[in-house]
Amino acid sequence: MIVVLAIDALEYDLVEAFGCDNLKQKFYGKTDISEFSEPRTMVLWNSFMTGENREKEVLALGDKEMWNIKLDIKDTFFARFENPKILDLPGFNYDKEQHELERGMLKEFFTAVGDEEKAEIRKKYNSHAFEHHRRIKKEFADALSGDYDFVLGYFSAADVIGHLNFGNRALMKMIYRDMDEIAAGIDDTLIVLSDHGMERIGMFGDHSDHGFWSTGFKDLGNPRITDFAGIIMEISEVE
Amino acid sequence: MNEEYGEIRIPTRLIEEIEERIKQTEFESVEEYVTFVLEEVIKDVDEEEPEEVFSEEDEAKVKERLRALGYLD
Repeated sequence: MIVVLAIDALEYDLVEAFGCDNLKQKFYGKTDISEFSEPRTMVLWNSFMTGENREKEVLALGDKEMWNIKLDIKDTFFARFENPKILDLPGFNYDKEQHELERGMLKEFFTAVGDEEKAEIRKKYNSHAFEHHRRIKKEFADALSGDYDFVLGYFSAADVIGHLNFGNRALMKMIYRDMDEIAAGIDDTLIVLSDHGMERIGMFGDHSDHGFWSTGFKDLGNPRITDFAGIIMEISEVE
Repeated sequence: MNEEYGEIRIPTRLIEEIEERIKQTEFESVEEYVTFVLEEVIKDVDEEEPEEVFSEEDEAKVKERLRALGYLD
């Protein structure tokens, strides 16, 4: 089985700072996403799945409609596996209602007036994101013991929580350590991949201009996110 | 040094997990393990950069960025 731990906004510098050895594996580094005009989540995961830069196609749909993209499996490299299991990936099968609610709460936070109201929304927002995280974690653990030849688990907590809390080191550390523990529990061939990282704007977080990758088998250098479809298929042929 | 102690409540499932975990270690009790972990976490956080505080300028900046990234309309 090949496993991809797809972690939205996993930041290289924090993986280092928090000593997440299981996320780092033997080889790790930054991905090159400089070909994209902005580090947009939907554009990057679409490009990962198809192995092609899909920025133009995704942006043509507009900011609202792009979140509704649902690629057919035959347009992705997943189709080349006999029995793949993909969990909650944007642009493929993610829980639209959940992520719409998150974006709605973000909007609510920025339109709220007063510290108390903002604090209340932030609390609700964080708790909602953690609840979703726990659900995906359980589904991912179940998938790992299933009869699949490819499992991809997409985890959004570092991104969702990070946007409103990146300046809260303790909270971010808790998320990174949890992701590190998830990685520690995977015995199969593992690729850890993020779409982009995150950088601080005061207590908030903005997408950074590089992603994170790691493997236990090969130094990939400074790969592009579109390289991973080929890299993963190469491994599957060897296995 | 004689330290004073207080009581906290944690889920029973965690206590059971810790009991399992410390079987092969030098920790002699769940209390000892929990104290060690909490001291490590607090030490780590203290050594790191200070927590950021809220500023309207940061909020305006991030709002603009989130709009550019398609999160806000």
